[in-house]
Amino acid sequence: MSEWPEPAVDYVQAISDTKLVLGHRYAEWSLSGPSLEDDIGGASAAQEEIGHVRQLARELESQGRDLDWLNGQREPEAFSNAACLDSIEGTWTEYVASIAPADRAAWYLLDAIDRDDLDGLITKMGEDEYFHLEYHDARLETLAEDNPETVQRTLETTLPQALALIGPEAYDEDADPVFETGFTDRPIAKIRAAYIEHYRRLFDGTDVSLENVDWDQPALEDWDETRRRTGSGSISQTDVEQLRGEKNKLFTMN
Amino acid sequence: MKYEVFARINQGDDTTHIGNVTAQSDRLAKMYAYNTFDEEDWNYLTVVREENLLEVTGTQPKREVAAGE
Repeated sequence: MSEWPEPAVDYVQAISDTKLVLGHRYAEWSLSGPSLEDDIGGASAAQEEIGHVRQLARELESQGRDLDWLNGQREPEAFSNAACLDSIEGTWTEYVASIAPADRAAWYLLDAIDRDDLDGLITKMGEDEYFHLEYHDARLETLAEDNPETVQRTLETTLPQALALIGPEAYDEDADPVFETGFTDRPIAKIRAAYIEHYRRLFDGTDVSLENVDWDQPALEDWDETRRRTGSGSISQTDVEQLRGEKNKLFTMN
Repeated sequence: MKYEVFARINQGDDTTHIGNVTAQSDRLAKMYAYNTFDEEDWNYLTVVREENLLEVTGTQPKREVAAGE
């Protein structure tokens, strides 16, 4: 397997970590939905995200990353997940308005990868993601009718955090280091534009206003290129222990 | 709204009724059907609003009782 450029390894790491935490959040909330169908959808998405993580971990291991480290043997601050997944508090509405921006951002980053050896993998993940994202949008539309204030307030926090996962506006075709290596087929600025346009269209004509969303986040000077976020936040130590499955080892049969 | 769910496994098979879902929108109903009836790799899966089913025969008896009856 050919070696990826160094910025590309961090790029894929952030996608993988976002999917890892996303799978965990889906599972945590999969008994909290307003209907059995919502719970089934969440449980199904959790399995698919973890499946994607296993595939991406194999790719990252081939690029020199340690498999135990990839699987969670690290400090919370070493995870590069979208910040909107660090913790989700509140109701199921806050949950949907937190996971949806993260899942879409991770997919847009993945879809931009332009590598023949990853093409089949990404196509398969895209088949799963189509249904995740379509479900999120369908749910956000109904929640925008039922609970617009909560959706709006949550998105004002989570959309800038998801944009930080994608990257800074300044990363255009002349400045995006991953695009410059040819690992991706479009620069961050273009991915951001498509992402922002999607959410503007989704909520156009609803009671949810995105007027107060800070679409300029993240500022380049504040952005951590490895963790693809601003600030020093992270998932909790408890989250890390659950991701490692440490307590489940008690039930391991030899 | 209630939606009836129809599917077939292979092209050329009969499309049969496999269940129903209740959803707030057509878009959500499609996703509910996809996630809930995932026991097969369907060649075709579709939802129909119950109100759009045009009965030809076998009209169901009215279950509700109107005021004054």
